Order: sequence, then C-alpha cells, then structure tokens
Amino acid sequence: MAAPLAFEKRESPLRGGQVRAFIVGVVIALLLGSILLLVSGHSPVEVYAKMFDSAFGSKRGISTTLTRAVPLGLAGLAVAVAGSMGLWNIGAEGQIIAGAIGAAWIARLGPDLPGPVLITLMLVAAVVGGGFLALGPALAKSRLGVNEIITTLMLNEVAIRVVRYLVNGPWKDPEGNNFPIAPELPEQAALPALFERSNIGLLIGAVVLLAFGVYTARSAWGYELRIAGSSEKAATYAGISLKAKIFTVLLLSGAIAGLAGGIELTGSSDRLVEGVANGWGYAGIIVAALALMRPSGVAAVAVAFGAVQVGGLSIQTLGVPAAIASILQALILFGALSAAVFTNYKLVRRSARSTAPAVAS
Amino acid sequence: MNETTVIGLLIAVLEFGTLLYLAALGETIAEKSGVLNLGVEGMMAMGGVAAFWAGVETGNPWVALLVGVIAGALFSSIHGIVAVVMGADQVVSGLALTIGGLGLAAFLGQDLVVQPPGARFEATNLGPLNDIPWLGEVLFDQTAVTWIGLALGVVAWFVLTRTRVGLILRAVGESASAADSSGTSVVKTRMIAVMIGGALAGMSGAYLTLALAPGWSEGTTAGRGWIAVALVIFGAWQPGRVGVGALLFGGLLALEPRLQTFGVEISPILLSMLPYLLTIAVLVALSIRSRHRPSAAPAAIGQAYRREDR
Repeated sequence: MAAPLAFEKRESPLRGGQVRAFIVGVVIALLLGSILLLVSGHSPVEVYAKMFDSAFGSKRGISTTLTRAVPLGLAGLAVAVAGSMGLWNIGAEGQIIAGAIGAAWIARLGPDLPGPVLITLMLVAAVVGGGFLALGPALAKSRLGVNEIITTLMLNEVAIRVVRYLVNGPWKDPEGNNFPIAPELPEQAALPALFERSNIGLLIGAVVLLAFGVYTARSAWGYELRIAGSSEKAATYAGISLKAKIFTVLLLSGAIAGLAGGIELTGSSDRLVEGVANGWGYAGIIVAALALMRPSGVAAVAVAFGAVQVGGLSIQTLGVPAAIASILQALILFGALSAAVFTNYKLVRRSARSTAPAVAS
Repeated sequence: MNETTVIGLLIAVLEFGTLLYLAALGETIAEKSGVLNLGVEGMMAMGGVAAFWAGVETGNPWVALLVGVIAGALFSSIHGIVAVVMGADQVVSGLALTIGGLGLAAFLGQDLVVQPPGARFEATNLGPLNDIPWLGEVLFDQTAVTWIGLALGVVAWFVLTRTRVGLILRAVGESASAADSSGTSVVKTRMIAVMIGGALAGMSGAYLTLALAPGWSEGTTAGRGWIAVALVIFGAWQPGRVGVGALLFGGLLALEPRLQTFGVEISPILLSMLPYLLTIAVLVALSIRSRHRPSAAPAAIGQAYRREDR
C-alpha cells in the first residue's frame, strides 16, 4: 500500500517558517493539553487562564517568570553555542549542578568575605565548575572523536550523584534535622534584588545572552563557528583548527551552564540541595532547539518556557499536577519540530510516474 | 556476611539485570535501525504507570504486563512520527520523549501513588529445581519476566544476525539510502524498530512496578533508563554483550543498598556513579581502538532519512 502523500522539497525555504512552526507547536500543545485536562476532569479554559495570569498577570508574576527564564535561557545558550557548531551538549543539567557545587564550595571556604567579593568569587567558581564537568567530553571529542552526546549525558547522572553525596555526607547540614541539605549560605551571598522576585541574576543572564548574540553574529569567531558547523571540509580549507574549536566551544558551553547554577544558588535558593538543577538543563536543550540555536531566539523561548513552568506550579491549587508543565513543553517541541519540516518541504500527492518504491509503503 | 546475604545479592543482580536488559535490548534494536532514542526513561515510566494501573484494575499481572508493553510501544511512536516520518532531529525528539513521558506518567499516576499493587509477579515455582542449593535459589527464585527477557535476547540475537529481517534492519541502520535503493522501506523499518524498542522499555517499566518494586510513585524509574542507553554502547550494539553488561550494571545496582551489610565503608552513592563512568571509559577505549578498526556503532545512527535529499 503506497502512501498517497509524499514530502517534496520546496524550491526555497518558507519565509518566517520557524516562527510559524513555534506558534503551531504552541497551538498543538495547548490543544492536546486540553484533551488531557478534559479527560481528567478539568476545564482547559480555566487552567490556561490561571496559568497565563500567574505568569504574566501581575508584576510579581512577571518577575517570577523572568527569574525562571534565567537558568532556562543560560542552559539554552550553552546548548546553542555548541549547537551552532553542530555539537550536542546534553550535559547542561550536570553542568548546572557542577556550577552550583563550585559556588557553594566558595561559600564554605570564605563565609566571612564581604558580599560583592563573595558573590563574584562564587559566580566565577560556578563558571569554572561547569567548564570542569565539560572538560572530559571536550578533550575526548576533540582529541579522540568520542561522541559528546553520550559523554555529556552520562556526566549528568554523575553530577546528580556527586551533589547527592555531598548533601548526604560531607556537606550535610548538622542542624538540618537530618534532611539531605547543605547548611544555609551566608546572608551576604544572596544576589541583590532587582524588583519583586527578580534579582541581579536576571541582568547577568540578559547581558550574557545579548553579548553572545551580538558576538556570534558579528565576530570572526562566530563566523568560523558556523563554518565549522556547516562543513568540516570548508573549515579545514579556511584554516580553522577544528580540534581547538571543538575543545573551546564545548568548554565554553559547560561554563555558561555552570553560570546558570551559580546564579540559581546565589539568587534563588538559600542552600545547596540535590534538586538544584531542577531539569533546567534538559529543558534548555528543547529551548535551544526551538530557537534554532540562535541566542536571540533562546531568550524569547526561555521566557515562554519560564511562563509555562510558573503557570504549571500555580494550577496545583486547582488540583492539576505541576507535571502538566513538562507535558506542555514536550508537546510544544514535538509540534514545532513537526511543523518546522514544512519550512523546507511541502506535502504533495504522490505522482503516478514515481517509479521508486514508496517510502511509507 | 553469610550465605543468605550472598544469595540475596545474587538474586537481586538478576532482578536489576532483567530491568536493565529489557530496556537496553529495545534500545539496541532501535539504534541498529539507525534511530537513537533518548526517550527510554520516559517510555519506562509510561510502561510502568500503565502496567501498574492495569494491575490495579484487573488484578492480573499478565494483562498488566501486556498493557505496559502496549503503552511503551504507543508512546514511542511519537518519536517515530516526529524523528522518523517527519525527519526531525533524533536527539531533541528523544529527550522531549523523556521529559514528556516522565511528566505524563506523573500526571496519569497521581491517584495511583497511594494504591497498593493490584497484581504482582511472584517467583516461579519449579518444584525440585528451586531446592537446588545456590543455583536453584538464585536462578529460579525469579519471576517469569526474567525468563522472557532472556528468551527475547536470544531471539533478538538470532533475528539480527541470522535472518533476512535482521539483515534489512542492519542495512537500514548502516546506509539508509542503499537500503532504500534495494527496495526496503526505510521509514517503515525504522518505525517498527522504534516501536519494538518502546515495547521493551514499557516491559521494563512494567517489570519495575509489578515485580521488582511493586507500586507507583513519581520518579520511580530513577535514571535507570539512562543506564539502559549506556548499556547499548557498553555492549557494542550486540544483544549478548548487552546482556553481560546488564548483569554487571545490575550487579552495581544490587550492591548499592547492601554495601554496609558487606562491611564496605564506601558511600553507596559513589558506587552508583560507576555505570556511567564505566560507559564513558568504554567509549574512550573504543574510539582509541577504532582508529585501526571500524566502529561498532551503526553508521547511519542519528541521521534522518529523506529520499528527496538523496
């Protein structure tokens, strides 16, 4: 049985296809989400209205959404920087944890340092921590060609266990009622507030995203990155050292994700806990993919995903599990990925003269 | 340390080995066809919650297992549609399958968390065989699912290496365009392979909630799906070697809660990192070796196939 329809390549990509695909993805996600909500006895209109209202309806809501968008955006940027060269950093989750561990370590070493010094050192340590976790995959990929998808993925699970070990063992809070938590950070280690629930971390995140957006778009470095990503041959011909590039890009990617961990620790939590990365590293991969690995797009998608997460938490009062946020995020991606195909292809009726065997026979 | 604790450990090795093997075997089949599916963790959760629900509803472990298998296969078809039919990126689609699957399982299972298991697999009773000291106790004090897993492994090995169907599957995974030229439907073959992978991951999840740790709670899969992904590489995409790896990694999982009983003063948390670190070590070793030999990985893995792009 031959499928009556087939993909045919468009002569030129559809203009604005990607933005359109993202919108289609959101619509598909909301529709499928409604079915799920209806089946489980909730009113989709009520649930979505509440989600939107809690994320954007007040100053406080907006600030919460933006605060959540910071780790999502930085993780997304980390993935996008590697992705623009055709590399996959699946390890942002672990690198966020490594960053938080690095920052927490500094707070342990110098609890009496003045605030600005302490915070600066903590954020530097977070960057180093994230980079450190990416060092192995970077070396293995650049020197030996070891698949970075698997190495970075495996190190996520290692990092989760390192932080679990720390908060259950050597770093466990003696006054924590036996909970697996590290002691509270010194008071002056908290990032200064900006407005409502947002802190300076929002500014840092925005500046980093903007800087990378401009730099990768305008600099020779960014140009080389894209060449290296598009064709190994072209890169070699242009005299770009692929090995060095792979190494620095993966390291940089890890460092950016590490920064997210540092901001999260100093900005939004008062101590190191096992769940410090909160799935942001994995969500960051979806963010980067939806943003087509472009820093400008990453910021926009991160805010959207931040809103979905804030909304997801708010509807627990309606008896809807917060898990709906993860479901919606995945659905947006599936919808957008599928819709994006139509940027470059169109569906046509399979012509009778097609002699090759059917693709989906 | 006495005899009972050692036998208890060995029983647990086989139990955790079964859990990991089922999922890893499925991923092996999918990857052999050229499709990387990082959604194992999500498919396991979906199979687990569906099977547990069916157990509560029907009281029959076999029906529950079947429901878990079907749930895993259906859920994996999302990855099939998005990454194989539509040709979207396999890495992103697979990760979204994990995120969405964990979320959906938590959503669907919210009322099941407090439920006692409605059905569970008991150890097989083979009469006198169970009474053989050591051997009988370790090998036969297992549920039927372990034997199913073993049988499926043998079947998978035979089909992959000795039959035409296996040849087609491998051809699609090595060079999709060549397979297409010879009249094989790449999309259909990959779709089936992905859904077999989902079915086996679903069975693994069902084994978890019906036999290994009867019950349902959010996060019950606890990263075991990632170990299964690791195992495929560790086992060089061969059902037999993946099985050996499953026993090794299963052994590490079984040892974790027992370290103290054996008087070892290492944190079990540190031990639990080993499967992942070992996999990285194997990957590095393989790539050093493969400078002189062809890689064991299917050549077309991760690449979408569109005839129009050929």
